[in-house]
Amino acid sequence: MAGINEIIHQPVRLRIMASLVTLKPKEQVDFVYLRGLLKVSDGNLGAHLQKLEEARYVKVEKTFVLRKPRTFISATAKGRSAFREHVAALKSILQRADIPASE
Amino acid sequence: MDVSREEAERALDTARDAAERTKKMLAYAGADALLVLWGVIWVFGYLGSQFLPLVAGWLWLALNGTGIALSVVIWKRSAPVRSPESGRIGGRIGATWGLLYLYVYLWIGLLWPFLRVRGHEQSQMFYRHLGAIAGSIPMFAYVVMGLWLASFMLWTGLAVTALTILGLILVPAYFSLWMAVLGGGTLIGTGLVIRNRWK
Repeated sequence: MAGINEIIHQPVRLRIMASLVTLKPKEQVDFVYLRGLLKVSDGNLGAHLQKLEEARYVKVEKTFVLRKPRTFISATAKGRSAFREHVAALKSILQRADIPASE
Repeated sequence: MDVSREEAERALDTARDAAERTKKMLAYAGADALLVLWGVIWVFGYLGSQFLPLVAGWLWLALNGTGIALSVVIWKRSAPVRSPESGRIGGRIGATWGLLYLYVYLWIGLLWPFLRVRGHEQSQMFYRHLGAIAGSIPMFAYVVMGLWLASFMLWTGLAVTALTILGLILVPAYFSLWMAVLGGGTLIGTGLVIRNRWK
């Protein structure tokens, strides 16, 4: 089983990934909406998204909707799988800790 | 990377909270702006019914047309999530509301032969009751949404429905004014609550 993912483990990035994997695979969320959801600043969200994009865990798409520029973000298949593995690794730490030392 | 049990537990809680929050916010996606828009339309519409009864029908027609057009623009501009199915989903939501009103008026139409509306006073009363029915339709939606999503919508829906009926009985002469404040105010207020609570 894969271990803790250091890129995803950072709290803001963990929340970003948890939010994005909640969407259906073909869905993308608006940058401004995600910023409000996570209660972080523009710069902070941008920096963490860049890190996740470099790891190819998220896809950032800039577009125009009714002549207004908008940025949409989605989790990639690689990102979804990395998040699942990270959560599994966290759960396994809890399970290990639950096993009494004498066993 | 070493992660303690406490840290792992905290991280899982953080991920769970973020996922729950996202699900909840998506359920209300874009509803805040639409509720405020229709609240404003109701305020003007019911004020028109109260103070300009002769042109109220045309006023409602114009307001509803404007509301539908603006709803499409708001949905396209501010929908927080897009997917190949977004347009279809937006269309379905709009169609659901349209069909809800259409069916209610169809049922009233079916009962029409048995409705004996005679004279000015009775027709005024009939239109007031029609206004109460139209006003209570979104409250029915509130109650249903409240059962599934957030209890505050359930109680708001029930309270406003009760107050609508109370207004009809207690202040019939000022019923449209009552609905402008109560119905319009509720839609605007709920929109603002959703915006502040989940944004």
